[in-house]
Amino acid sequence: MNWWRGLPRQETTNSRVAAVAALTVLTLFVTFFLPPVADSELAGGAAIAIVILGLSWLTGWSGQISLGNSGFMAVGAYAAGIWAHHHAATPLVFTLLLALVAGGISGLVIAIPSTRLRGPYLAGMTLAFSAAVTPLAQNFTSVTGGEGGIFLNSLVTPKWFEHLFHGANASINANAQWTADLAVVVAGVMFFFMANLFHSRAGRSMRLVRDNDVAAELMGVHLARTRTMAFVVSAAFAGVGGALYSLLEASVRPETFPLTLSITLLTLMVLGGIGTLSGAVIGGIIYSFSANLVSHVNSLTGVNPTSNLGANMQGIIFGVLLILTMLFAPRGIVSLSSPLRRLWRARRPLSVTQEVQ
Amino acid sequence: MHNIFGGLATGVIYSLVALSLVIIWQSTHVLNFAQGAMAMFATYIGMTEIDRGIGYWWCVIISVVVGMALGGLTERVLIRPLYGKPEINPIVVMVGFLGVLEALAAAIWTSTTRNITEPFSQIYYQDHGHLVFLSAFIVFQILLAIGIMLLVAALFRFTKLGLQLRASALAPEVSRLLGIRVGRMLTIGWMLSAGVGAIAAVIVASGNFGLFPTDMDGIFVAGFIAAAVGGLESPIGAVAGGLLIGLAEQFILAYWSPNVAPLGGIIILVLALMIRPQGLFSKSVSRRV
Repeated sequence: MNWWRGLPRQETTNSRVAAVAALTVLTLFVTFFLPPVADSELAGGAAIAIVILGLSWLTGWSGQISLGNSGFMAVGAYAAGIWAHHHAATPLVFTLLLALVAGGISGLVIAIPSTRLRGPYLAGMTLAFSAAVTPLAQNFTSVTGGEGGIFLNSLVTPKWFEHLFHGANASINANAQWTADLAVVVAGVMFFFMANLFHSRAGRSMRLVRDNDVAAELMGVHLARTRTMAFVVSAAFAGVGGALYSLLEASVRPETFPLTLSITLLTLMVLGGIGTLSGAVIGGIIYSFSANLVSHVNSLTGVNPTSNLGANMQGIIFGVLLILTMLFAPRGIVSLSSPLRRLWRARRPLSVTQEVQ
Repeated sequence: MHNIFGGLATGVIYSLVALSLVIIWQSTHVLNFAQGAMAMFATYIGMTEIDRGIGYWWCVIISVVVGMALGGLTERVLIRPLYGKPEINPIVVMVGFLGVLEALAAAIWTSTTRNITEPFSQIYYQDHGHLVFLSAFIVFQILLAIGIMLLVAALFRFTKLGLQLRASALAPEVSRLLGIRVGRMLTIGWMLSAGVGAIAAVIVASGNFGLFPTDMDGIFVAGFIAAAVGGLESPIGAVAGGLLIGLAEQFILAYWSPNVAPLGGIIILVLALMIRPQGLFSKSVSRRV
């Protein structure tokens, strides 16, 4: 996964951006050969990867933790859904931008009182937020459609795409591939922004705040503003991811964003590796495979997938994985590659990477 | 007046959860996100025993004992390896544990609501033809909660064990030098806390609405808000915070709109944090750097 890090380079940012672009193009290429089901799973994974990246930025780079990102996803999804429901002709880019802004604003609203909070208080506050979102969506029926949610038109595959790749047949294949490509491109754009943000002035001051807030303050970093910024960015990413996810599903419903989704997000982030681009990619890939993974475990253990145990297998597996990863490999799957990498560039001075231990 | 009883009835549940959070926070500085789920799980085990025909009180006792065992085990297995690590790590582990417990409970007992037949009547008293939100069961529930709180307070204040618990929370190094087995005290703290939590879940399960696997999520959030409003350092603050949240929810339901009720807790939390970030009942302690 990290082979490019061994290549000679000048600026970390450039290599990361190049890697993001390469991975995006590669994934687009792959979508041609996948069956429709796999394509739509890939699209879901790309949407979730955006959310994971936002969470990863918040936890890995600013040292704050959020259990509210499923709530921010819901805000973005509802903003996009309500808009797309009334103005079906709006270009997708605009809808997603709207979700970005809505997510960011909700993040700001939560961040302003929370920046005084640390660690556990903050996590509890965000948990309270995400716990409140689902009942609110159910209660305000006139805006959100209540339990049933909002149904959207499914994404239309443009003619040129069909003509170009599928010989003018409006097949299921073309549709699935189009949505997957769309999701991958959106994810690529978001990863591109984050790759730049990681090594911007904001990213550096963020790490300083995380590691030593007194020193940061002495250096002239505005603590509250920096922490708030981290929250807003994370929530905006969650908003885009949630909106994209709902557009792919062609519906926005309260039960898409339960509290357990926050746990799933946390699991995927920790599994992949906190605070890294590749960790978020791995998290997204695991999400795409999660349904298959769970049914595989079910068939291995001989559990009937429609039984109680089978239906809850995903929660059990993800929870156990989260605990085990945190106890035994807190830096996630990404860290497993580091011995290899060290071998690869034994003569180069190791870069200082400080991650959550 | 009617609403006050209703508010107190839910408030004592929040108070118990908040109290259990504070006990753990004081001993190990971990905010236990699985507190509600652990209590739920213990109560479910108690409820399966009641199916075999044991009485209500045995069910309560079994739930509390199972809860305490679960609490002690959790501290030993999941939390002990994480002392001295960044504060995010135990949060993440306990969130994972929360997921496992809820999924397991739904797998074993299905996610439909289950109820314990309570020993006291649930029928509301009437006051000249008007319903009062007060029944024999609610009286019992409030008294039970107060009894447990007094018991915990007495344990911490008047017994040798309580003194050791407080000492090892306050100054672990010194306590160890004085011959207190600090590790054991931390485990006992977790057991106590989980026992108190289990009582809360038992009350929920015996109430009108029963218990389902994710039921304690909302109650945990309310309990956390109560503890945060009171200050995570202060048991009295936690109890008062719980009552405050319970009353506020009841009044929002009654006089404003049930639609905004989910936001009630957050609003109170934000307001309280703006007034005193360290909690209303907490002695001001500045964070050392």
